[in-house]
Amino acid sequence: MVSMRALKVGLCAVLCLSAISCGGGGGTAGGGGGGGGTPPPTNNTASVIIDAGPSMQSVNTLFTSVTVCVPGSTTNCQTIDHIQVDTGSYGLRLLASVVTLTLPVETLANGNSLAECTEFVDGFSWGPVVTADIQIAGETAHAVPVQAIGDSRFTNIPAECSGTGGTEEDSVSTFGANGILGIGPFELDCGDCDTATHGLYFACATSCTDTTVPANMQVPNPVTHFAADNNGTIIVLPSVAAGGASNVMGSLIFGIDTQTDNASGTQTVLTVDDNAELLMMFNGQSLASSFIDSGSNGIYFADSSIVTCTAPPSDPTSQIVNFYCPASTLTLPITIQGMNGTMTNNLTFAVGNAITMLDNTDFDAYPQLAGTLPAGNVGTFDYGLPFFYGRRVAVAVQGATTTVGTGPYIAF
Amino acid sequence: MPIFPSIDFKRATLGAALLIAALIPQVASATLGEPEITVQGDVAQAHAAIKSSQDRSNYRVHEIQLPSGTVMREFVAPNGNVFAVAWQGPTRPDLRQALGQYFDAFAAAPRSKFSDRRHVQIQQGDLIVQSGGHMRALRGRAYLQSAIPSGVNLGDLH
Repeated sequence: MVSMRALKVGLCAVLCLSAISCGGGGGTAGGGGGGGGTPPPTNNTASVIIDAGPSMQSVNTLFTSVTVCVPGSTTNCQTIDHIQVDTGSYGLRLLASVVTLTLPVETLANGNSLAECTEFVDGFSWGPVVTADIQIAGETAHAVPVQAIGDSRFTNIPAECSGTGGTEEDSVSTFGANGILGIGPFELDCGDCDTATHGLYFACATSCTDTTVPANMQVPNPVTHFAADNNGTIIVLPSVAAGGASNVMGSLIFGIDTQTDNASGTQTVLTVDDNAELLMMFNGQSLASSFIDSGSNGIYFADSSIVTCTAPPSDPTSQIVNFYCPASTLTLPITIQGMNGTMTNNLTFAVGNAITMLDNTDFDAYPQLAGTLPAGNVGTFDYGLPFFYGRRVAVAVQGATTTVGTGPYIAF
Repeated sequence: MPIFPSIDFKRATLGAALLIAALIPQVASATLGEPEITVQGDVAQAHAAIKSSQDRSNYRVHEIQLPSGTVMREFVAPNGNVFAVAWQGPTRPDLRQALGQYFDAFAAAPRSKFSDRRHVQIQQGDLIVQSGGHMRALRGRAYLQSAIPSGVNLGDLH
């Protein structure tokens, strides 16, 4: 089984990467194709794929390709594949080990270099903030702050950073991707780092100390810096067979109501709160800290009536025990309500047997993969990438005005 | 004229604040598995503030407001030891301090094959760490299984 998967991943690496590269632009010169007469509209659509990723064991993880250039250069550029597409974070972060360019590190007014400690739930990523010109599909942004994770020039991780605990995710293998494209509904990865220190941004000379940072030096959702189509994104993914599928491909469209291909229609528009969260009603509970998130690889919620998986004798400490393993597939009702009071109608989701699904290691997209919420996370329903299968999901950034509302909102 | 009442008011407020500070019997040590001791100095060093201290039936809870915006809660057993810590906010608290001797076990715990940067459910010996959320909204808790006082509902530890 393992070798089958390795073979499949190898094939995929060749086929899909070239596919993504094409969709992701790949070229160095900006804008559309050129030619005579009226210029064509900006190509606002990047290809995305769900595959096993660089770790060869990713599940329900969405990737795209991003081209970065040394600021101001159209030739000193590099296209990087397998950048995770994440509506649950903000900012472009690249694993420095895959970046062949020399991107300039941001310098604070006092001459210190700027570095960041990005906190994820299960660990942290450390590295300097550099600037790069970014191109995805035909969209371009100039001199955008980007985190270079695991940069060999910044190896002294401050105690305030490592002290947040968990895994140091500073290599492709520990990160599970070549980078991450955070396109959540806010511009910045920190609410108020211009006036307060949070252990996120650090000023580095011989050592690094916690610092405030002007907003324009913080790592932003790069979409908000695009010259056009910068008010949000739309992820379009096909339906996926109940048991799973491999190499599912879809689109990441930039902008909402800025071109014919991203026009709003009759979708449900749910505004989100300052934490990009909204209300989900499930099993008689009102869960006010819930979220829809392309960066979660399953449907995570608490329901003690559903049987969880048993670790196999060959792997007694397997974390599979945190997933659900019902004897037969369950179809459960859920209602999602935005801060604007708008609610979904007749929405259900399915919970399959995680062991049965994951046993098919040829697959990497599993629409019915569901797990337990870490206990203590009261009031949360984490509806991850399975929500996006078979849907067209728009994320409008804060302050964006579209024909159907004002961001921050999620619409589908 | 109005300046005097204002000064008096400020004095009264300061006095009340000092009185309240003196009345709070103890401020939790921020370290799991160790005794609750007075650590006003630690709290001051972290520029943190005690929001409340509350006695529940089987334990005491100290709620600490960190300057990062994160709220940390420490749960103290009747024997005086911290048996659980919980956090909620934009960033994690200093878990090296909060978990003490158990921090290394947390940091070294093998990463789940199914990890997605959104979930942690770790058991390393006596230590349990459970966390969820996403960027700008992290929630979690850590506790020592053997130190949970009898009658405590795990669901209340958050």
